[in-house]
Amino acid sequence: MSLQPKKNTKDGQPTWGERDRLSVLNTDTRRLSAGAKVSGEALYSMDQRPEGMLFGRLVCVPVATAEFTLDLEPALAMDGVEGAIVLRKDKTLYNGQAVAAVAARTPELAEDAARAVKLEIKPLPWAVTAEQAMAERAPQVLGRRPNYGPRGRGDGTTGDEEETMLALEGAAYRVESEYHVPVQHHCSLETHGVVADYDGGEEATIYASTQSVFGIPGSAAREMDLSRKNVRCVVEHMGGGFGSKFSMDVAGKAACALAKETGRPVYVFNDREQEFQTSGNRSGSTQRIQAGVDEEGKLVAMHSEMEKLGGLGPGPGTRQPYIYDVAESFTREHSIHTNTDASRAMRAPGHPQVSFAMESTIDQLAYEAGIDLVEFRKLNLSDPVYHRQLDRVAREIGWADHPHKSAPGTGDGWTAEGIGFGVTIWGGGGYAGCGANVRIERDGGVISSIGVQDLGTGVRTLVAMIPAEEFGLTVEDVDARIGDSHLPQGVSSGGSVTTGSVSPVVKSAAWNARLAFAEHLAPILSCEPGNVTFADGKVFDRASPDRGLSWQDACAALPTEGLTANGEFVDDLQASGVHGAQAARVRVDLKTGQLTVLKMVAIQDSGLVLNPLTWRSQVNGAMIQALGQALLEERCMDPDLGLQINPNFGDYKIPGSLEIPELVAIIDEEDTRQAVIGVGEPPVIPGVGAIANALQNACDVRITSLPLTPDKILSAIASQS
Amino acid sequence: MKTFKIHRPKTVEQATGLLPSRRGPAEIDEARPMAGGQDLLTEMKSYLVQPESVVDLGAVAELEEYEVGASLRLGALTTLARIASDTEIGARWTALAEAAASVASPQIRTQATLGGNLCQRPRCWYFRHEDAVCIKKGGSECFAESGLSKYNAILGGGPSYIVHPSDCATALVCLDAEVTRSTKRGERTQPLEEFFTLPSEGSVMRENVLKADELLLKIEVPALPEGWKSTYLKFKERASYDFALCAVALSAKLEGGKIEDARLVLGAVAPIPWRARAAEEFLAGKQSTPEVWEKAGELAMEEAEPLADNAFKVPLAQGLIQKAFKSLTDGGAK
Repeated sequence: MSLQPKKNTKDGQPTWGERDRLSVLNTDTRRLSAGAKVSGEALYSMDQRPEGMLFGRLVCVPVATAEFTLDLEPALAMDGVEGAIVLRKDKTLYNGQAVAAVAARTPELAEDAARAVKLEIKPLPWAVTAEQAMAERAPQVLGRRPNYGPRGRGDGTTGDEEETMLALEGAAYRVESEYHVPVQHHCSLETHGVVADYDGGEEATIYASTQSVFGIPGSAAREMDLSRKNVRCVVEHMGGGFGSKFSMDVAGKAACALAKETGRPVYVFNDREQEFQTSGNRSGSTQRIQAGVDEEGKLVAMHSEMEKLGGLGPGPGTRQPYIYDVAESFTREHSIHTNTDASRAMRAPGHPQVSFAMESTIDQLAYEAGIDLVEFRKLNLSDPVYHRQLDRVAREIGWADHPHKSAPGTGDGWTAEGIGFGVTIWGGGGYAGCGANVRIERDGGVISSIGVQDLGTGVRTLVAMIPAEEFGLTVEDVDARIGDSHLPQGVSSGGSVTTGSVSPVVKSAAWNARLAFAEHLAPILSCEPGNVTFADGKVFDRASPDRGLSWQDACAALPTEGLTANGEFVDDLQASGVHGAQAARVRVDLKTGQLTVLKMVAIQDSGLVLNPLTWRSQVNGAMIQALGQALLEERCMDPDLGLQINPNFGDYKIPGSLEIPELVAIIDEEDTRQAVIGVGEPPVIPGVGAIANALQNACDVRITSLPLTPDKILSAIASQS
Repeated sequence: MKTFKIHRPKTVEQATGLLPSRRGPAEIDEARPMAGGQDLLTEMKSYLVQPESVVDLGAVAELEEYEVGASLRLGALTTLARIASDTEIGARWTALAEAAASVASPQIRTQATLGGNLCQRPRCWYFRHEDAVCIKKGGSECFAESGLSKYNAILGGGPSYIVHPSDCATALVCLDAEVTRSTKRGERTQPLEEFFTLPSEGSVMRENVLKADELLLKIEVPALPEGWKSTYLKFKERASYDFALCAVALSAKLEGGKIEDARLVLGAVAPIPWRARAAEEFLAGKQSTPEVWEKAGELAMEEAEPLADNAFKVPLAQGLIQKAFKSLTDGGAK
């Protein structure tokens, strides 16, 4: 017997319920996988070792662009090598592009076999830097199309250039700067790849490191010439994607093809160097900005030109004047193509780049006009939400007592301290398309299922928390099942849509299960279904709360097969549209140029926050990622060799434990929307600008080229004195 | 990395017998000695060396010496963690303890040895990139000289512009340490300062005088004379786990606001630990004032010839020299 709720109960549509009456949701809840992850018990896709698995390895061409010939025989002749395939015959277009793959019994053998493949390379002329791509007679990296031009979404021009220039001329204060943002890497600790579990039959299971469980079976089925319905994707735990893991990538394709060829499970994951060279990145850019304000400090004009450096791709389109109100604005955006792998979505694609240039411009104008940095922002942001958020972060960072509010400081000869600000914007809503079901077992068990992946954000925990709230149980009472294409449809995790897409459907399933259960229990409790109440592990008639059944006893009254309810998307349970503000306090060592971030503060309006603990983890992680982009991260290409010369975590530096400042993540409680909104992306945007601004605020050094490394800071200080 | 055989000798004699008597044209394949393995294994993983066999020195008792007496005697196998945590070394040879503590991460310091730290290969990103065949790997040019040179040498460079990566080397040269190595004709002891070679002096493919079948056996550091104290200041671009962008080892006799004598060695600015002799001569007998520290910094950098991206190392070294004096003067270091 399957119980389904009757429609049109007096409960109507599901709602999240009043915040102060929630006992599980909106309460700090440790992620369910925390213990397993800390102990190492959690198996990531990369950790899967199906019986008989072979280790695959990609064969990559180690120059920027080349024609080549391949001979797989020397590898295939090696003892323990079970298969080899060709992945590409056309000329390669970027350093590290994979052209073949081998599979062997051990990872060491696979590496030896990959190096044994006879690869004869004829390097072709390359352009790996913007300067090379723009040089006369530069090789055209995309073939017929020139290296420079409008390419991507948002390329071309907006606004009236002539009007903008006229308005600029009339401005009371003007600034002009050129900003450089280098390519940043995603740095997922689990690299790109899959384990394709296959035994030569009609079915396969793909353990993928992916942001899109449901995007994998179709592509894997094509690679393996299997029916899509026979290919399952499982992602129990995955180690970070940040926008770079929506497809199987070449490693995944190679694993599938080698599994098909050998009739055995095959593992292929990038090594770290391949990961840096081939798995996408955040595009760089050069931006030239002229902007002006009137006597009162209102932005009257902004002229901005941007060249995006997306390698073979166009780079994302995000425009100036980012967030701020400007009377006359003109933008021109173009892409410059180079022989480097195409940029991909990376946590708020395109946003940190323009935010850095815009927030830097804002501070320079505020100093020109001699206006308090917070007041200047409020003057040029019409949305009052930003005003309260800026005031809040200003209070938290200690702005009131700060001596350098409208002019930069200089320090005491040894060190200097400064504060900087930035604002952010995002959507974060979900959309229909997911499915979910909640099952109540006769023995009291509750299973909440949706196939969606958890990138480390805490989705799994939400999937358990929502039914726990609905049934008056604890999160430990619910078995959350996720990361499996055999479960109800999930959503791809991009654009901060996961929480907004998943939570309403799980809520709906839990709600429907509760209504159906109430119907079933009403006769037993001798009350109306609408009076059946679930709280504190008990089920009772609202009119007589001291009588009733324990949850276990109530479940025992279910038929053998228990009770299962499905969910559907409920639009009102999610919302879109957020603001945010951040502040950074830094200390500069004037003798060494070392920039130390002492504290970062972020506030976000996020509607109803289902799990404040994982929400803060997301915001803290975003601040750390922004700190890395601000202080350390840069892909370094040698133009003469055509190589990235820092494709490892020794030379491509990301923040370590000693770089982490005091982090304060604040939920904007004045946002009373009773709807959930994703928070993954917006908090990564304003930190870079805020840190660069804090540097100038401390010691009057404006670095317009990221990252803000000691060599640049010290050179600037040295040229000051 | 390439598959290799491993040997576990018990004595120095057995160990050196397993090493090639001289480096041949195929030296990339020849047997290598390994202590903590923290550098050799990374070289092997990057295919910079592909030895047929590795001589694991872990069981060679002669390399285990550890004596904190009138002088400090440290066998090559002494771990950096042990040096960093020895409070007596911290009190009497402060610069060395600070240098050892500044290396990499706790995990690496627990495994890494003093001998390995002194003999480690350069960190230049061209040298470490398998596909960049630079002059130190048998190629014809130093790519840093005309390429991305932020981390490279401003002093003593040419034809290679690597900087020596060892923190302990800088501190130990400052502390006037001696090194003992095995040779065919028995043990040989010499000042550590003479152990390291400039690319223009010795082979451009090496950083010290060790021959293929020789081992660094031990380091001896004399007691600092009465009234002397020392400090090691390492500046890292990233505070957690990084090599130095520039480092200063300073030992000095300070009395009544006066610098009686000083020894100043710079790290990460040259292919060897760089004695700033002109600055040392100037400092002897001067009052310890910010103006004098600044002047010492200027003299230390007088001969600097920066490449395209590393002129910042000049003010950086000068700033660190001032900070090192400030630290010694304020009693921050002993």
